[in-house]
Amino acid sequence: MTGHQVRALGSAVLIDDSRPIFLQIAERIEGDIIEGTLQEEAQVPSTNAFASFYRINPATAAKGVNRLVDDGILYKQRGIGMFVATGARAALVQRRREQFFDQYVQPLAREARKLGIEPLELAEMIRQSETATVHGGAS
Amino acid sequence: MKTVIEVRNLSKSYRNSVALDSVILSLEPDRIYGLLGRNGAGKTTLMSMLTAQGFPNSGEVKVFGEDPYENEQVLSRICFIRESQKYPDSFSAKHAFRSAALFFKNWDQELAGRLVEDFQLPVKRTIKKLSRGQLSAVGVIIGLASRAELTFFDEPYLGLDAVARQLFYDRLVEDYGRYPRTIVLSSHLIDEVANLLEHVIVIDKGRIIMDDDAESIRGSAFTVVGSADKVGTFLQGREIIHTDNFASLASVTAVGTLSRAEKTEAAELGLELAPVSLQQLVVRKTISAAGADLGASKTSSLEVTR
Amino acid sequence: MNRVVNVLRMQLVNRWIFIGIPLIIIAASFGLSWVIWALVPFDEVKASGGSQAVLWYFFALGIQSLTLTFPFSQGLSITRKTFFGGTVALFSLIALAISLLFFLLGLLEKATGGWGVNGQFFALEWLVDGPWYQPLAFYLATMMALFFIGFWAATIYKRWQTTGLVVAGLGVAVGLVGAALWINFQGQWPQIGEFLVSQNQMSIAGLLAVVALVLAGGSYLTLRRAIP
Repeated sequence: MTGHQVRALGSAVLIDDSRPIFLQIAERIEGDIIEGTLQEEAQVPSTNAFASFYRINPATAAKGVNRLVDDGILYKQRGIGMFVATGARAALVQRRREQFFDQYVQPLAREARKLGIEPLELAEMIRQSETATVHGGAS
Repeated sequence: MKTVIEVRNLSKSYRNSVALDSVILSLEPDRIYGLLGRNGAGKTTLMSMLTAQGFPNSGEVKVFGEDPYENEQVLSRICFIRESQKYPDSFSAKHAFRSAALFFKNWDQELAGRLVEDFQLPVKRTIKKLSRGQLSAVGVIIGLASRAELTFFDEPYLGLDAVARQLFYDRLVEDYGRYPRTIVLSSHLIDEVANLLEHVIVIDKGRIIMDDDAESIRGSAFTVVGSADKVGTFLQGREIIHTDNFASLASVTAVGTLSRAEKTEAAELGLELAPVSLQQLVVRKTISAAGADLGASKTSSLEVTR
Repeated sequence: MNRVVNVLRMQLVNRWIFIGIPLIIIAASFGLSWVIWALVPFDEVKASGGSQAVLWYFFALGIQSLTLTFPFSQGLSITRKTFFGGTVALFSLIALAISLLFFLLGLLEKATGGWGVNGQFFALEWLVDGPWYQPLAFYLATMMALFFIGFWAATIYKRWQTTGLVVAGLGVAVGLVGAALWINFQGQWPQIGEFLVSQNQMSIAGLLAVVALVLAGGSYLTLRRAIP
């Protein structure tokens, strides 16, 4: 088993000590759901498993998971565990779309303005990057 | 919820130094506490008082609701192996574990055995012949396998290599997940343990300068870098805990969070924003507390005046 | 109570210290004495003071028990009272066992005509000259007194470091000199002399026992506030 390697990678890459960790755990699970790594109605690892994997406090892991339960993304089944709710992916994608403008478009536009890149030019660049990614992905 | 530890105005001074200065603390059950501070800040002294191994000059300590001094009921639920723990001269690690098994009612011999393998500890060699790291491993194993309701780890990683330290943190999280208990982890290596902590207590020169949930500390401060003038204007009225100047540039750490509008404003002013890790924050608070000392000021922070 | 017994068991976790080494000391000092007796071409009774070697070992154990075992016991969350109880119980038992061993070997010594070479090791004439339990009582009291001297001295050192030991040492010296001066002043030396002459083996054992008890009380009170 390469459990230790995975774990070292996990905590090194994903946990950032300058932001609340429970948010990062919640985001990580959300990401897995959006990407389809965690399917709807699939069982989510226990909080202790999360804690061991990311080498974090179990209460913190539980807080992250519970946040998703409160949001209706996950649901608990007594004595069995935690599962991804049906419709969770659509809800998450919707939320991320709402945040997209603030999180990505605005800083991009700001930087573009600073460098004197016109909005049309920017749109063209985005279109180009799209084809580049598709090509990159295909090769 | 009932508290595990209640400390009121605890003070202790040695001949010419103050080790603890009116410490007030309250620890809740089933949490991992980080007792952070520099070497000599008073961490071990505080833990000694909490376990009635040492005696305060004044103040009150209650553990599980009672005075721990000579209190079998209370002490039998505590494990505190100090960093400089002494063992009988002729004892090997095996002897030490066998002794510990006699006194800790939740002692898990199987866990002790597994940890011995993890740390590759030579259990038959006398303890005085062990290396510093192996000596630490003996303490770590007793602390973990005791499963005491209240367990103190006093700088448990001294002399342990990176692999052994990771093993300790892994085993701690694992076993704590299965058997929740109150754990106090004293450390001056903050980055290493930060993610394990639920609550952080920072002690400096015998005074508690921070006592808060780890999660509320994370992201409770931010650093702004940019031209000194602009940084000053931007941070007007905020509590500043650290300032670095370089030519006309300033890097200033302030308490609080920034709204989306403020972030945008910073970006438009050409200021760079950086998050502050728990370790950075503790270091800066400690330095700022020292600065306040020098200025004979009671506050631990300074206002930006520009 | 259970924990007191466990303190005793804890110190016996390594049997070597409390059982192995004392037996070796006894065997070695006896063996050495026997060889010397056998070499000496002399038919009279040959006595050896070798049996006291193990008694001094107790003095060292008393010191070690406090400087190392006490801090360890604190790490295992044992109260000072329990540690004291278990440790004193252990030393009493070992002292009793060794006294019994000496007593029995003394009987054997007499039965074998001094181990075939007319030697005296366990049944020293001065000791066995009296009631049968006399050597038992004497060995026991001596061992306990020696143990507590070591134990208390180490406790004082733990609590007040070198200053404590120096002050305690000076205190004892001043006390003795003061007593001597007072006796001088009162002109009571003849009475003292009479008192000393009138002592027998049993009364000396009794005095040692009283000393051991006083030392035990002092040790306990000092230990109550000792830090590991």
